[in-house]
Amino acid sequence: MKGIGGLAALSMSNATIADVQAAVNDQLPSDPHTADTYRSIVDAILPRTPELEAELGPEHVPGGLDAELEKFLIWDFNHFQEIRSEMVTEKLDLLANEAAMPRSMFELTLTTGGLGSDLDALLDLADLTLGDLLDLGLDGDALENRLTFGAVERYETSFVDLDTSAEGVAEFEIRVDIDDETYHQVLQNYPYAPAFTLVFDVVAAEFLVRGNNEQPPEPNQKFPAGGTFTRLAPRDRLRCLWTIVDGSIIDDLDELLSPLVPDLGILKFVVMAVNGLHGFGYYTEWSGYGSTKTETPNERKMQKPAGAVQSRKQSDYPGPALGYAADWRHAVDGGFADPDADELNLPDDLSGDDVLSGIGGEN
Amino acid sequence: MRDPDVVVVGAGADGPAAAWKLANDHGLDVLVLEGGAWHGNKQWPKPHADAGGTVSTDPDDLDGKLLDEQFTHREADANDPTWGYLRVGPADHSRAPWFRNLHQNAFIWQISAVGGTSLHYFANHPRAYPYAINEQPHWPIDYEELVPYYQLNEENTSTQQAPMTGKEEVFIEGATNAGYPLIETKNVTETGWRPQANAVEVPGRQTATGEPLNSEYEGSFSYDDGFRGDTLVGDHFQGSSTPIDAPVRDKARKSSNVGYVPRALDTNKDATKGNVAIRPNAYVTDVETKEGFGSIEATGVTFRDSWSGQTQTVEADTIILAGGCIETPRLWLNAGLPDDGWVGKGLTTHWFDWVVGVYDEETIEDINPDMKHMDPYIGQNSAVRFDKPGVGGMEDIGMSPGLVSYADYLFSQAGYSFDTPVDPDEPWDTRGYVVGKELKRRMSNYRQTKALLILTDDLPRQDNGISLDNTFSDEHGAVPKVKWEPHPEDDAKRDELSRIAARIHKEAGAEHVHRCDWPPLLLHMQSSMRMGKVLDSNAEAKNVDRLFVADHSALANGLGGPNPTNSGQALALRTADRIADLYF
Repeated sequence: MKGIGGLAALSMSNATIADVQAAVNDQLPSDPHTADTYRSIVDAILPRTPELEAELGPEHVPGGLDAELEKFLIWDFNHFQEIRSEMVTEKLDLLANEAAMPRSMFELTLTTGGLGSDLDALLDLADLTLGDLLDLGLDGDALENRLTFGAVERYETSFVDLDTSAEGVAEFEIRVDIDDETYHQVLQNYPYAPAFTLVFDVVAAEFLVRGNNEQPPEPNQKFPAGGTFTRLAPRDRLRCLWTIVDGSIIDDLDELLSPLVPDLGILKFVVMAVNGLHGFGYYTEWSGYGSTKTETPNERKMQKPAGAVQSRKQSDYPGPALGYAADWRHAVDGGFADPDADELNLPDDLSGDDVLSGIGGEN
Repeated sequence: MRDPDVVVVGAGADGPAAAWKLANDHGLDVLVLEGGAWHGNKQWPKPHADAGGTVSTDPDDLDGKLLDEQFTHREADANDPTWGYLRVGPADHSRAPWFRNLHQNAFIWQISAVGGTSLHYFANHPRAYPYAINEQPHWPIDYEELVPYYQLNEENTSTQQAPMTGKEEVFIEGATNAGYPLIETKNVTETGWRPQANAVEVPGRQTATGEPLNSEYEGSFSYDDGFRGDTLVGDHFQGSSTPIDAPVRDKARKSSNVGYVPRALDTNKDATKGNVAIRPNAYVTDVETKEGFGSIEATGVTFRDSWSGQTQTVEADTIILAGGCIETPRLWLNAGLPDDGWVGKGLTTHWFDWVVGVYDEETIEDINPDMKHMDPYIGQNSAVRFDKPGVGGMEDIGMSPGLVSYADYLFSQAGYSFDTPVDPDEPWDTRGYVVGKELKRRMSNYRQTKALLILTDDLPRQDNGISLDNTFSDEHGAVPKVKWEPHPEDDAKRDELSRIAARIHKEAGAEHVHRCDWPPLLLHMQSSMRMGKVLDSNAEAKNVDRLFVADHSALANGLGGPNPTNSGQALALRTADRIADLYF
């Protein structure tokens, strides 16, 4: 089965692998929880701004969601790390092959329906109890009151036909149950995009427990499938992300979050990327790729002139050119003096006029 | 090439320079193995979609028009770290990039391809501050010994003073008003400003109409119509294959695929010289060794073809590692070579910051009476700089808007500007991430905006660097784990340079100054396999005979702050001479 194209999704119950294969070219970018979570980030960083129309003009009204920027974030995170089949092992004893990675690191099933609260589901997955949370310095009851994964009833990430004896890129299947529908995607990389959204919900719940929010959370009709994270006010969503970088939230949540992402250490990098991808997506020509914007790179085609895409009109950049007829001059007539090495005659003190004391390096 | 004298691992900025010197001046046969793609070569017409050929030795394989097709000048196409044609990863673009485990708010910016990270550089070629070589305690060789190699490298790469366009005139106004003098030497020992020394040909060296390139010029920018030299497009981060239609070797900006690869392949056409073969899509996974007298000796390398998955071992008399500051130590450690505690360590990265000035039309018109905008996409990306030996330097920079939005407003360690107070004693107006309505406002001023890049002289420390990750592995072994944090001394230097930058903006009349307070941006990486620690004064490994390092990781420190390409290439040229003297 080919996962190339990256984003295969369908909506049906009891889907088989063959069904998934048939839907490989479906353009649904993700399950609704994932989409709404990234939509809520895009909307916090690049909102629609009708108030700028009078000040700057009508082209400054549309926001990142008008350019479907959430698809850019989801595509990038889902194509972020390839896992090779031959590097995965079923065994827990890794001493035989130091380079091998256990299969269990990449597979999980989170069942939120039927087990009680969403926190119960996560505790079950992490093999923890409410009492353990107390030992970790977390207020389990408060967290339970705050945490919701929104519309997600079941979340499963697994390998597709993993054959560790064969070399090749492993394919992953992601299944998310929401209401009576099952969303499937088949990816040839680890499905980080949906995994991060679950992390953001848990971090948002702890953010609220600590009272770090400045506005009260409330269900957000713009992002109906989202969880705790999307219920934060726009600036609180960003403050919440920032607690991953600056603040001990991730360290404190380490054991609770550890089943959700193969290596939680990358989350600070992820916050960098969540912000930075708005530059790589929104303010480049990316949205001009139109219907090909989430194809593999070789299949993307510009469908608009680079200067005609939404954000390019907002920055008044006409797009790349082959050259510019511009005035220029050299600032130093004749260039720099540069004697041969044996005639350099450098001053005795090379250390400049204002050296700050260094530590000399070494340790 | 069945029996090379030297195998070079990596065709980035430095590997091709070493290969050219070994073949051209010493008659040696050199095989260069590159893990990434090769753009602008007829043997790989679709380098990201199809395996193409195996190896190239013929300079006639190089095709500038093919390069023009592949380097689209578009930002996302080029620079997206996940799918851009300038990324770190296998050539096959249906696959993800190579994973590096980074547990920080930080960004690693490199390229795997023939040309390496020099494919997206601004081509700035300052020399190291003499102070950093002679008076910091790291280097086993003197500055004076590097100067002839700087001179050779500057000649090979057309390095000269950069042209001043609108944004540079604004910088000069600010630097002059702030009292800084013009520096008129390449060997910088005093504080001041100067044009960049950069590896880009003179603008409009010849034009299609025979008229000079200035605002009156109405001719073509095509090589086929007679245009030669720089076309003043600020697209160097997108690959800069201008002038269009030019043969690869005549592209104006001399990234190493332009400045060194053609002249390296030219040696194959001269019977009196050695031969150079370059094989892309060949990722080296192991260094072969044998026991010597009380030491071990490198005998070859094993590589994996990234399209077929097949592995192959090739033997050589000497091996040069030139995979860059991350891949060279990663290979070393995965190969199980001896580590005395400094392999991969001592990484320096010019503790960057980024100070943004937004200007109004009247200010620009006062400085440049014919202009209303600085238009940061016109002219070279970075054509003027400031130097303060002992502290670091800075560069005036203009780029296209995607890169500007990321660098100016969406990359910070200070948090969101709406929550980040500004000390009233500091010379900037805002700090941190800028989002929402304010981001749109700032970006609506894109054509009136330019930034100053702070390059702090950070010193090598053993805590910073590359180790093997114990969580993830890929087809090449354990992935690299990368860590870099500034020393408090570095913070103090960076703060000082940022204050100078803000002052220069304000002295030029900026109406708003923003300090980004960048987290680590691992772009100018140096010194993770340092001379004086891992390497001796020949750049040969202290613990493995016949194994050399010729990439920026061999640099013994961060050079005081100046951009590292000129120094990395100069040292690689010297190392090639040392290899020939020692072993051939």
